[in-house]
Amino acid sequence: MPLSDSELITQATSGNDSAFEELIFRYDRSVLAIALKFVHNTDDAKDIYQEVFIRVHKGLKNFEMKSEFSTWLYRIATNVCLSHKSRSKKHLYVSIDERYENEDGESVNVEPVDDEMDPGELMANIDLGDIIKDAVDSLSSKQRMTFILKHYEGYKIREIADMLNCKEGTVKKYLFDAIRNLQKKLKPLHQTA
Amino acid sequence: MNHNEIKKWIRLSLYSELNNEEQSLLELHLKDCDECRNELEQQRNLLSLISDKKNIVDDKLLMEARAQLRGAIRNERQHKGYFDNVVQYLNDLITIPFRAVLSGAALLVIGFFVGYIFYGSSIIDPNILPDKTNNQFSVFQDDVTISNINFIDSDPSDGEVEFTFIAMKPVYLKGRVDDPKIQSILTYSMLNEQNPGTRFNSINAMYSERTIKLDKDVKDALITVVMTDENPGVRREAIKLLKKAPYDEGVKQAFIYVLTTDTSSGLRIEAINAFVDADKKGFTLNKNEIDLFKQKLQTDDNSYIRYRTKTILQEYN
Repeated sequence: MPLSDSELITQATSGNDSAFEELIFRYDRSVLAIALKFVHNTDDAKDIYQEVFIRVHKGLKNFEMKSEFSTWLYRIATNVCLSHKSRSKKHLYVSIDERYENEDGESVNVEPVDDEMDPGELMANIDLGDIIKDAVDSLSSKQRMTFILKHYEGYKIREIADMLNCKEGTVKKYLFDAIRNLQKKLKPLHQTA
Repeated sequence: MNHNEIKKWIRLSLYSELNNEEQSLLELHLKDCDECRNELEQQRNLLSLISDKKNIVDDKLLMEARAQLRGAIRNERQHKGYFDNVVQYLNDLITIPFRAVLSGAALLVIGFFVGYIFYGSSIIDPNILPDKTNNQFSVFQDDVTISNINFIDSDPSDGEVEFTFIAMKPVYLKGRVDDPKIQSILTYSMLNEQNPGTRFNSINAMYSERTIKLDKDVKDALITVVMTDENPGVRREAIKLLKKAPYDEGVKQAFIYVLTTDTSSGLRIEAINAFVDADKKGFTLNKNEIDLFKQKLQTDDNSYIRYRTKTILQEYN
């Protein structure tokens, strides 16, 4: 029978590296998936992954098991994502024509979908993945994180509130705003879907 | 209930976040409201469109991330551990404990200063500390470098000053390559020296037919070097020495890391050769590793690596 998280934590804090690995390997794919969705870049996602688990490694001895390990872990993961500065941003060039500032005041380079374009033609000529990626990227950090946790990772609003350390109402607001913004940006696409 | 509120419920409903009562109320409203039904349809289309673009983390990326994490944790732990070991070792080597030297030196300097105040320039020659045993460590010898003087009390008005400093002295060491103390110094060097030539020589110094056994710390340090050192020559030397270590999961992961991520085909060849050797000794690959090798067989641009990979995979068909 597999050991529980708390049993593995006890062993890991006593210096058992295998227990630490067994513990984090239960969750690391999901952490990497969140990071990848958040930054859309494998190098940045691996940086986030490493930062998250280094923090877990350092902080595990102080973890008091008052909450689930997973909640604590994802709280760290969301914090690291939200504070992460992309490697590519060091060399970010922003077009003066298409500069766009999101609700966090972050400068992003987004070309909105042309409302006038025929949806059929649009679907035939564009990479749908890129359009969706740009639309998700244009959300504010917290809207984006909330949307990823809810839509792609399937967490309950209550769980996301725990991870982001905020109220459920705030999570709902981020989620509604995210969906509303995506609806606007992807209108020509989802009308054809 | 107004339409804006209903729109929020529609979003929550699509994510199964409404309770039964709320869901029933929403369905009741939708029966009679074309606008909200249309909104439901649009939101359903939107979410379905985005859901089509889900990314799944592939195993190779996950293994790379895990390998880098292992290296980072090991590096962090060893940086501290080896520093402690080296300090401990130097303390063992020098008969006068370092702290005692510092305090003794501070007291001497205070004494000289007081003497200077009271007796002018007639200072006693302070070349040798009182201890006359071998390996004595005098901070006043020519080969000792003094740095980082930090004043605790720099006011001489009461006739005394107080400070700490770092005294460094070159240490001569000769010993067997199997000696854990020798390996401890060389391991510290391979991980922390700025100069790649010194890192290379530190690893090379341990590579000998007489190196019967590498302890776990050395093996872990070599894995870190294999995965993180920026110099390919140093990485290659580390791989060669790592092959002499007992083959275990950590060593295997290091070789997989090199095989899948290293840009140098020479190093990938070293890694695949290590797998061939392990294979001969009866070590097997798990399913994920077999998949990785299959991928390697298709994608590696080096024909020798593809050939060796094929040889290994033949045993699993």
